[in-house]
Amino acid sequence: MDQTPSPPPPHILVIDDDREIRDLLAKFLERQHFRVTTARDAREARRIWPNGHFQLVVLDLMLPGEGGLDFARWLRTQSGVPIVMLTALGEETDRIIGLELGADDYLSKPFNPRELLARIRAVLRRVAEPNEKPEDKPIRGLHFAGWTLEPTRRRLLNPDSAEVPLTGGEYDLLVALVDRANKVLTRDMLLDLLRGRQAGPFDRAIDVAISRLRRKLEDDGRHAQLIKTVRGGGYVLAAEVTRV
Amino acid sequence: MTPGAVRSAHDNDLSDARPVDAVPPLWRRVLRRLWPRSLAGQTAILLVMALTVVQAGGLVIHAMDRLDLQRLAQTHDIALRTITLYRAVAMAPLEQRAEVAHAFDVSNDSSARLAAGPPADRIEPTAPPLERQLRADMLLVPMPMAQRPHDEVFLGGPEAGRLVMGLQLSDGRWLNITSPMPQPRPWDSTTFLIAFLGMTVAAAGLTVWAVRRLIRPVATLAAAADALGRDVNAPPLPETGPLEVATAAAAFNTMAARIRRFVDDRTFMLSAIGHDLRTPITRLKLRAEFMEDDEERAKMLVDLDELAAMVSATLAFGRDVAGDEAVVAVNLAALIRTVLDETVDARPEAEALLTYAGPEQLTVRARPVALKRALTNLVHNALNYGRCAHVTLTPPLGRVVTVLVDDEGPGIPVDQLDQVFQPFLRLEGSRNRETGGTGLGLPIARNVLRAHGGDVTLRNRPEGGARATVTLPLPA
Repeated sequence: MDQTPSPPPPHILVIDDDREIRDLLAKFLERQHFRVTTARDAREARRIWPNGHFQLVVLDLMLPGEGGLDFARWLRTQSGVPIVMLTALGEETDRIIGLELGADDYLSKPFNPRELLARIRAVLRRVAEPNEKPEDKPIRGLHFAGWTLEPTRRRLLNPDSAEVPLTGGEYDLLVALVDRANKVLTRDMLLDLLRGRQAGPFDRAIDVAISRLRRKLEDDGRHAQLIKTVRGGGYVLAAEVTRV
Repeated sequence: MTPGAVRSAHDNDLSDARPVDAVPPLWRRVLRRLWPRSLAGQTAILLVMALTVVQAGGLVIHAMDRLDLQRLAQTHDIALRTITLYRAVAMAPLEQRAEVAHAFDVSNDSSARLAAGPPADRIEPTAPPLERQLRADMLLVPMPMAQRPHDEVFLGGPEAGRLVMGLQLSDGRWLNITSPMPQPRPWDSTTFLIAFLGMTVAAAGLTVWAVRRLIRPVATLAAAADALGRDVNAPPLPETGPLEVATAAAAFNTMAARIRRFVDDRTFMLSAIGHDLRTPITRLKLRAEFMEDDEERAKMLVDLDELAAMVSATLAFGRDVAGDEAVVAVNLAALIRTVLDETVDARPEAEALLTYAGPEQLTVRARPVALKRALTNLVHNALNYGRCAHVTLTPPLGRVVTVLVDDEGPGIPVDQLDQVFQPFLRLEGSRNRETGGTGLGLPIARNVLRAHGGDVTLRNRPEGGARATVTLPLPA
């Protein structure tokens, strides 16, 4: 069926202790043209790891025996492979530790398969981006114009260090703007980001999300200084970003 | 609470509201107004009253004693003066006797007169005890036996205000001496009054101090019970103090421990159920992806989302509200905006039904995830049962910030305004599954807000619809 040469499908390692979930997830991801190998616990995953050439790991944090966090820690000593964590509801601490260990994203169980797919694709795309240099260690905070974005906790702090809650879409949008500070983000790039988040028409959703974000950043919509509108349909974060 | 219990409580309210025919008399109403409601106040008043009575009694006894003493001294004084005068007159030559008597006449308001007969004042004869006393006292002054009065007449006494004594001289004439003898008045003494007042005030002060000291454990117990109501993990009472107090504190602590164990068991059970349900729901969601029929698949995913939401709500309710989330500074205005925006993201058709009024920046100290869940529940509740949600953030008044969530629905029956905060209860009108909900939204909201030191209450707005009033304390 494959007549045209195409890049080999990304190879994903799924680690979950429930056999049904492993098999269903493998079947689901394979239908989306991924190659999937599964492991039922950390021991099996360690055994498979060396000869798999995996591009991404989906890791359940609640594993019997050696826990998911310990495995993630070990994995980080081996490679910078992106990790998407599956966490239990409400277990904030595990999630934060996981993100601090360098996991790239997380979903809490029970998750929607399509959302997992979107996250996997987003992570793979981010890693594949040529201008994205891999970080040696996870970033604790991104400072810009007095504000602080903490990726491990997915939160924004205002200049007085008070948390400013953001919706999921606003957060993703802000991360994208901060990641590419002083570079214009086209509408298409933003559309890509918001897809799957909003139920409404995407075009309008971007303007709405930007205006909400400006309001929360206390950036006057008419004379916006922080998130500037670029003629021709794009936005740019006009601020120096420092990473710590 | 059973419906029957609710009805009877309601009936009691009505009977209380009925006008009372007989108005109690004014003095009773005044007394009721003045009567303190606290145990310390009542005990103190009773003790002070009893002490005052006892003290007054003691002082009366003391005064009577003084009275006797005063009278004795007065009698003695009069007797001696009289007999001294008599001696002076009796020793004087016959022709000078009137002069000597007259010379004494001027002193001490008393009068002495030499007369042919005994005193003829129209007053009662002296009481026998007083008379005996006077005779005895008069014998104290030495005098030759022949010179002593031949006859003696005693008239009057303290009741008459004066004492009249007639003493017959050896020449047959009478020396009649009138001495003032006022009623002793011990109550007139200023020192007495000051002493009485001073002692009363001191006794009252000591009583109030002692009672407050003794009653303090009761107030501590009440505070502990209140704290336990807000937080099951409130620290135990110190089991010290008087025996009864220590016993009560120990009993209270045992009860608190039992409640804690019960809550822990329930929490553990709910968490276990919640955790166990996650795996099958995840499997079902994956399986749904393999369904051929797009419409059926979409419906199934909606069902599964609802199921997941219920599990999540159950877990949130079962978990200790304080959880492991830290209290941080958070912009409450942005949090409310986020709640509304996320609701719109999930249900775009609700956009026009959700409004926010208030500042864009107001910092409180809170657990953001828990607080967001509480406010989300209130907004969803208003939207589901009241058609819309108008959120108002009022600038802080004192140390409290208020958030109002208004809707335009049918409101809530008055007798159920507080019941809706009970877990798994849904009002009769909304028991159908159309509107969804777990019956945990409002209880979770109340748990979260109370754990923050605030609260949420519901009432019906006069212009229609219900209003949820959220209060949150501001950092000091």
